[in-house]
Amino acid sequence: MSVGWLVDPAVAPLAAMLILAAAPNLILRVVGVLLSRGIDEQSEALAFVRGLALALLAGVVGKLIANPPGALAATTTTGRIGAILIAVAAFFLARRSIFAALLAGEATLIASLALR
Amino acid sequence: MTGAGEQRTSAGWFFEGARQAVSGPAWIVGLSLASVGGLAHDVGLSASNAVLSTLLVWAGPAQLIFFTAIATGVAPFAIALAVTLASVRFVPMVVSLLPLIRGSRTSLATQIFAAHFVAVTVWVETMRRAPGVPREQRMAFYFGLASGCILTAAGMTLVGYEAARMLPTALAAALLFITPIYFIAASMRGAREAMDWVALGFGLTLAPFVETLVGGGLDLLVTGLIAGLAAYAARLAQRARRRA
Repeated sequence: MSVGWLVDPAVAPLAAMLILAAAPNLILRVVGVLLSRGIDEQSEALAFVRGLALALLAGVVGKLIANPPGALAATTTTGRIGAILIAVAAFFLARRSIFAALLAGEATLIASLALR
Repeated sequence: MTGAGEQRTSAGWFFEGARQAVSGPAWIVGLSLASVGGLAHDVGLSASNAVLSTLLVWAGPAQLIFFTAIATGVAPFAIALAVTLASVRFVPMVVSLLPLIRGSRTSLATQIFAAHFVAVTVWVETMRRAPGVPREQRMAFYFGLASGCILTAAGMTLVGYEAARMLPTALAAALLFITPIYFIAASMRGAREAMDWVALGFGLTLAPFVETLVGGGLDLLVTGLIAGLAAYAARLAQRARRRA
């Protein structure tokens, strides 16, 4: 008797989601909790791990720009890179405003789709 | 902020966290997940499962991988592996967040529960805002902020799901790009030292190249380690220069 149906999204989507997507995430979070024991707010270890987290998050974004998932695949690489560069420029021009970065970046991406 | 702030109870800090969430960050993650909800609709998932994916997985990239895999019929083991490799970031995110918010008596169970709510928006905003909250109230503030974000996002997942038929591709694409722009801008805003800039710049620019060089889904790990070590080297260099 096979239990393969449990991880078949076509047969049992919720079970598959719990086993294939929710569980790996939970395990990684618990690993984080266990590794955080004994680490102090002011320690060098925390500074290093903060840098690592920032680097990994930046890596996720970098990958997303290079290989866009879902609907983002409809945009061009130039459009995505351009949107990020314009967003960064707007951030500094508008005295470090996150909102300005979002507005300018999104406008650039949508314009790149319209002009394609 | 001081005077009245110091009088606040845990419930007060919880609602303060929730208030701060819905006055900004919650909509960033909410709009991104509206797009994820739209994808869930397109691949034939039910609305309730789409909302549950936000509540239970609570990781945009992992949800995207899972939904895309459903559509293309990827083998179960390959899905779990791809999700795991894309979610490795949660380990350092949780490790760096918990020491900032937990109290001396916070139980392991509470910490695990707290770790479930970590996501890019929640992480960035807590790292930035928690230092301004009294030590013993940070957990309450965090749970408020995280609840505001996850509940708004769950609602927006449903909105995106229901609107999928009307959502033009351009808008769906624009929604998916909100978190990347937000992450870069918010990280620049929160950058405190050379290390932060190096981690951000190296991670962003290395990722696409490492992706073409390293196979098996391990590229993100390699990018993170190189950029993370470079960032820490920048911290050491900056300190040495200050001491000299």
